Amino acid sequence: MTEIALGFATLLDPAVLGFLMIGILAGLIVGSIPGLNDNIAFAIFIPLSFSLSSTYALALMVGLYCSCAVGGSIPAIMVKVPGTASSVLTAIDGHAMARSGKAGQALGIAITSSVFGGVSSALVLLLFAPPMAAFALRFGYVENFSLGLLGMASVLGLLGGSMIKGLISAVLGLLVATVGFSQQTGLPRFTLGIDSLYEGVPFVPLLVGLFGVTAVLDLAEELIRDRRKGATPRQMPRITDSLMLDWRMTKRLLPTWLQCSAIGNVIGIIPGAGMLMAIYMGYERISHRYKRLFAGKPGEPEWGEGAPEGIAAPEAANNAVVASSMVPLLSLGIPGNSVSALFIGALMIQGMVPGPLLFIDHPDIAWMIIVAFLVANVLMWPVSYALVRTISGLVFRMPKAVLVPTISLLCLTGAYSDENSMFSIGVALAAGVVGYVTRRLGIPHAPLILALVLGRTIEDNLGNALAISGGDWTIFVDPVGHPISLALILGAAAFMLAPLAAETRNRYRRRATLKMEA
Amino acid sequence: MRMNWLSKSLVAAGLALAPAAALAADFPTKDVRIVVPFKPGGGVDASSRILAEYGNKHMTKAKLEVENRAGGDGVVGQTFAAKAKADGYTVLAMTSSVVTNPILKQTGYKLEDFRPVALYNTDPEVIAVGADSPFKTIGDLVAASKQRPLTTTIAGIATSHHMAGLALEDAAGMKFTYVPTTGFGAQLQAVMGGHVELGLFPLGEIKKHADAGTVRILSVAADSRLDILPEVPTWQESGLAIKRWTTFRGWAVPKGTPDAAVKYLSDLLGKISADPAYIKQMNDYGFLVAYKDAAGFTEEVNDYAEVTARVIAKHGLTEKP
Repeated sequence: MTEIALGFATLLDPAVLGFLMIGILAGLIVGSIPGLNDNIAFAIFIPLSFSLSSTYALALMVGLYCSCAVGGSIPAIMVKVPGTASSVLTAIDGHAMARSGKAGQALGIAITSSVFGGVSSALVLLLFAPPMAAFALRFGYVENFSLGLLGMASVLGLLGGSMIKGLISAVLGLLVATVGFSQQTGLPRFTLGIDSLYEGVPFVPLLVGLFGVTAVLDLAEELIRDRRKGATPRQMPRITDSLMLDWRMTKRLLPTWLQCSAIGNVIGIIPGAGMLMAIYMGYERISHRYKRLFAGKPGEPEWGEGAPEGIAAPEAANNAVVASSMVPLLSLGIPGNSVSALFIGALMIQGMVPGPLLFIDHPDIAWMIIVAFLVANVLMWPVSYALVRTISGLVFRMPKAVLVPTISLLCLTGAYSDENSMFSIGVALAAGVVGYVTRRLGIPHAPLILALVLGRTIEDNLGNALAISGGDWTIFVDPVGHPISLALILGAAAFMLAPLAAETRNRYRRRATLKMEA
Repeated sequence: MRMNWLSKSLVAAGLALAPAAALAADFPTKDVRIVVPFKPGGGVDASSRILAEYGNKHMTKAKLEVENRAGGDGVVGQTFAAKAKADGYTVLAMTSSVVTNPILKQTGYKLEDFRPVALYNTDPEVIAVGADSPFKTIGDLVAASKQRPLTTTIAGIATSHHMAGLALEDAAGMKFTYVPTTGFGAQLQAVMGGHVELGLFPLGEIKKHADAGTVRILSVAADSRLDILPEVPTWQESGLAIKRWTTFRGWAVPKGTPDAAVKYLSDLLGKISADPAYIKQMNDYGFLVAYKDAAGFTEEVNDYAEVTARVIAKHGLTEKP
C-alpha cells in the first residue's frame, strides 16, 4: 500500500500530471491521423526524454499509449479509415453506425468501451502483476504457436458473407507475411533485392494503403458518380446525436466489456501475442453473442452493419492490452509488445532498466508508471468526450471534394513518417490499389491484416518449437509438458467446428419445421 | 622577376589547395550527423545519444546530431552512410554487422567503403542461463553439452551471437541446437521461462538482469575477468579455448574522408571517453567504455572480419547463389 502511495506522490506533482495530460491529448491527435501511431510518436519523444526529467517523459508516454487507440477510432468511425491498427475492426460497425445517423453514439461507445478496457487493464497491472507475469513466462514457442493458431481460427468469426472470399483474404495476408528475412535461415526471402523489404513489407504503410488509400479511392468514385448524376454530393456523417450512452445501452454493453477486457488482459500480458490478436478474438466471441441475442430483432442491424457490440468489443479489447502489456516488462524486464519495448529505451536513457531491480533502485518511478496508467485511463474519459467533436469536426466535416485530397495527404505523410522513406509511400499506394480492387471483388480486408501479423508469429514459433522437440509434432498436444498448448489447440478446433455445427443444427431445425408444417 | 613554369604551377596548386586545407583545419564548420541505422530506443541509439551529449561539451562551432535511418535490419542506414559525401559530416554508428552484412546479405556497400574513425565500446559475449537452471557453473553446462545438443537462444541466425556458438562448437566441442529469436527481449523470455537451456547474449543486454537475479551469467568472452563481474570466469578460464568474442560499437566515415576530419572525430571520441561522468553513464547501461583510435579500431574491425569470415565459410552461412 505504501508503494502505491509513493507512486501517487510522484505522479501528483503538477508538472508530472501536466505531462500526462499532454500525452493524453497528443495520443488522441496522433491516433486520429492515419499512419501515425504510438510507435512513431514514441520514436520522436524518446530522444526528447534525454533532456526531460524521467518522470515527465514517462508520464507523457503513458498518457499517449493509453489514448492513442481512442484517437484511432475517430477516423475509423467518421470516414472508415482506421487511425491506428487497433481500430481496423471498429471501422466496420462504427462507420456503418455513423452513416445511419448515429455517429455520436458510435463515438460514445468507442470512448466508454476504451475507458472500461483501459481501467480494467490498469487494475490488473496494479494488483495482479506478479502472478500474471509468472503465468506469462509459461508461454514458450510451443504455446505461442498454438495461440497463433487460435488467433487464426478466430478469423472464421469475421467471415459473414462468403467463406471463400474471407479465406482468400487470409491467404493473401499469409503470403505477404512470408516476405522478408526468414528467422530459420537468417536469409532474405522474396525481397527482390530491396533492402527496405528485408524486415518484411512495412506494416504501417501497408495498413494506411489498404484502408486509407482505398477509402480515398472509394470517396473519389462516389464523388464522381454524384457529379455525373448532377446531384449535390452527399455529406460525410456528422455528429447530430448525443455522445452520451444511456443506462440501457450501458447495461447492454456491460457483458461485452467484461468479456473483451478479460481477453485483452490475458493476451496483453503474453509477450509477443500483440494487440491485434486480442481485438480479433474479442470481436469473434462477441459476434456469436450478438447473433444470438440481437440480430434480426426490430431496430437491430445485422452484425457488421452498425452493431453497437461491433464497436464495443474491439475498443474494450485494445485498451485492455495497453497497461497489461507492461506487466511482463515491469515484473520481468521482458517487453510485452513493440510499444512497451520502447519504454525500455526511455528508461535506459535515464540509466534505468525495467525489471525487478527497478522496484528496488527506483521504486518511485516504477510505482509512478503503474498508477499513471490508472490515472491516465480515468482522465481519458472526460478529455476524449471534450475533444472528440473538435477532432472529428476539424478534418472530417469538410466537403468530400476537400476531404479526398486531405485524407490522401494525411495518409501519405503518415506512411512516409514510418521510416522516413519514399519506399513507404510506394507501399501505401500499391496497397491502396490492391485494396480497391479486392474490395470491388468483395474480398474483406480484416482477415488479411490478422493473417499478416500472425503468419510470422506462427511460422517462427513453429520452427523454434520443432527445433526444441527435435522435430516431434506431438509436443503441441503434450498434456504433461505443454497443457496450455493442448488447451489452446482444442480451443482453436472448437472455434473452427462451431460454425459448422451451428449450420448443421440450423439445417436440421429448418427441416424439422418444414416437416411440421407439412 | 620571372617565375619559371614549375614555380607558377606550384603557386597555382597552392592557391587551389588552400581552401581545402583551411576547410580541413577548420573542421567542423557545421553540424556533424551521426547516422544510427536503427530505430530510437536500442543500444546503438542510446549510446550514440550519450556520445552526442558529451561530445557537444567539447565542440564550440558545431554540434553532433543523431539521425535515425532504420530499415532492412541496419542495411538501409549503413548503405546511406556509405554513399554519403566523404567530408566528415556524415558519421555512421558502426556496429559489427557492417562487417558481416555485406557477406551475408546482398548489400549495396562493402566493408571497404568505410573508414573506421574510432571505437568507443566493446561488448563481450556471455553464456547465460535462467535463475532456475540446473547448470550452476560453466563446468556443468560444458559437460552436459558434450552429451547432447543443448537448446540455445540467439538473437538471430548468422548474427555475431550465432557465430559465437558455432565457434564454441568448433573450439570446445560443445553441441547446441539454435533457437533464433528477433530480439534480446524474446531471448530473455525463453531463458527465464525455461523454454531453452541457455542463451548467448552480449553482456550489455543481460548485465542488469543478472544483477536482478533473474538470469545467471556463467562465462564471459573477455581477455581477462571484468571488474563488473569479478566472480564470472572468462571463456579461456572455462576451458572453452576462445580468447575473446566481442561485438563492437564505433564511428566510421565514408572512404575518402580527409585525414583532418578523421583525426578531429577520433580525438573527440578520445576526449569523451576520458570523461568520468560519461564512463559512469555508459556503465549504468552495462556498456563497457573501450576507446581505440582510428588505427586501433581498424585493427579490431579486421580481426573481427577474419574470425567471422572463417566461421561463415566453414558453416556455410551465406546465401546459396
